[in-house]
Amino acid sequence: MGELPTKVELTNLNKVLFPMLKIKKAQVIEYYIRIAPKMLAYLSDRPLVLARFPDGVDKEGFYEKDAPEGTPHWVRTVKFYSKTARRNIDYILCNDIDTLIWLANLAAIEIHIPLSCADSRQKPDFVLFDMDPKPPASYGDATEIAILLKEILERLGLKCYAKTSGKKGLHVVIPIVRKYDFRETRAFTRVIGEQLAKEVEIVTTGYAETEKSGKVLVDYLQNSHGRTMVSPYSLRVVQEATVSTPLEWSEVKKRIKPTEFNIFSVIERQDAWKGILEERQKLEVE
Amino acid sequence: MEKKKGAHATRRAIWNGNITIGLINVPVKLFPMIYDKEVSFRFLHKHDGQPLKYQRVCIKDENVIPWEEVVKGYEVGKNEYVVFDNKELEAAKPESDRRIRLDKFVHYLSIDPIYFQRSYVLLPDGSEETYSLLLATLQKMGKAGAGKITLHTKEYPALVYAYKDSLVLTTLRYAYEIVDPQSFEELKELKGPGKTELELATKIINDLSGEFDITEYEDRYKQKVEQLIKKKLKGERIVVEKPVKEEAMGLMVALRETLKQLEKK
Repeated sequence: MGELPTKVELTNLNKVLFPMLKIKKAQVIEYYIRIAPKMLAYLSDRPLVLARFPDGVDKEGFYEKDAPEGTPHWVRTVKFYSKTARRNIDYILCNDIDTLIWLANLAAIEIHIPLSCADSRQKPDFVLFDMDPKPPASYGDATEIAILLKEILERLGLKCYAKTSGKKGLHVVIPIVRKYDFRETRAFTRVIGEQLAKEVEIVTTGYAETEKSGKVLVDYLQNSHGRTMVSPYSLRVVQEATVSTPLEWSEVKKRIKPTEFNIFSVIERQDAWKGILEERQKLEVE
Repeated sequence: MEKKKGAHATRRAIWNGNITIGLINVPVKLFPMIYDKEVSFRFLHKHDGQPLKYQRVCIKDENVIPWEEVVKGYEVGKNEYVVFDNKELEAAKPESDRRIRLDKFVHYLSIDPIYFQRSYVLLPDGSEETYSLLLATLQKMGKAGAGKITLHTKEYPALVYAYKDSLVLTTLRYAYEIVDPQSFEELKELKGPGKTELELATKIINDLSGEFDITEYEDRYKQKVEQLIKKKLKGERIVVEKPVKEEAMGLMVALRETLKQLEKK
């Protein structure tokens, strides 16, 4: 017997975190270990928000921004003032596998990332289109709209990438140069969202309208300072242990099921977002 | 090192229940407000750094006694005990009825702070309206509600009052837990001072008067130990070799494979 090659002291490995599938914490940690080569690039240098469920996804959990009491000295943190908390918060940065294992051991099932990095918080490097179908609008409706969105963006000369949210929706992301502030990226998403709404009746950009009708909300407000999206390859807090999974555009089809992409199936996949972080596009249309 | 003003709050409630005033119910959650900040150490074996654990050893034959064979004895005389098993004591513990009944309101400043034990922040639990009503009323009147709370199966007298735009609960000591200073004979024999001495002493104290600021005080022993720890971290550190538990064996394989992949990158 040797020693586990990690600085993290693993605890409660037999705790069941996903009761329906009887998935234990050891399996959650193994998932994050095996996904690390693909996932770490998306986490790096971004102040994280965690959704921790130490008693399992069917029990009460909590969101955490602040590095918790007992954070090991080798975990990198970055201090920012939070307007909502009205104090400085030590955000966790996860740039290495030990930190990722430590997060998994904290039962941080979901890991959320901001659309900008710690060193340029006001200048995002992603534009996010969050497509959220409100029943009876379906996942299929959201995929159709995602494809339409891709076509619109291609007409503008912009390359975009899709991932499952792991829950009901789809995320479409444009990697951009760190040059625009959130006001600008929000305005951009809003204009495109309204264009979509013009082309397809089922699309809306307003919260109010989705409450009553089966519409797909294209939520432009997500492009705001302090907002986060669930990280590519993060598990989700649902009984099926789904994963927010980067997709090839050829996979974005009406019949696609979000539950197909889960803790068991995602490890073997190629990273459909490979190269996204090097693809820095300008939003100006020429 | 950066000077921190307050302790970090946890986001997990340690208790939830209701504040009850007559027929009014205010559902609340309780968060710790007081943190004891001390440097804690573990005992290690000097030769190999292995952590040491406590065991219960029989005084007579030095055998180690497992928990299953341990009962509690209340000492009534030398080597004489009344014996309880855990079940008997469990049954006597008060049940937490998840309720803080405030049956009396008193002026906050009239309460002797010597009774104050430990403070907790109360947050509304879906009861924002009644919470803010109670808060505003207590603020306006400068009053505190007195009642009882059961925490970890112990019942405490408690006060609920307004503090920094929040409701705070402070558990109190029982009267019998506090020594009356007048029970010391020395104080009974004390003679009063002369008039000039009193005037002189008053002047000295007047010269030294000012505002109280708790942040002027620092635990210098703690600071020194923390500095030593930092220094030691840079230099030598004992890493204890730990056997991998069975349940972690699968993770070891995964981790070795992943580390290889990451190295290739």
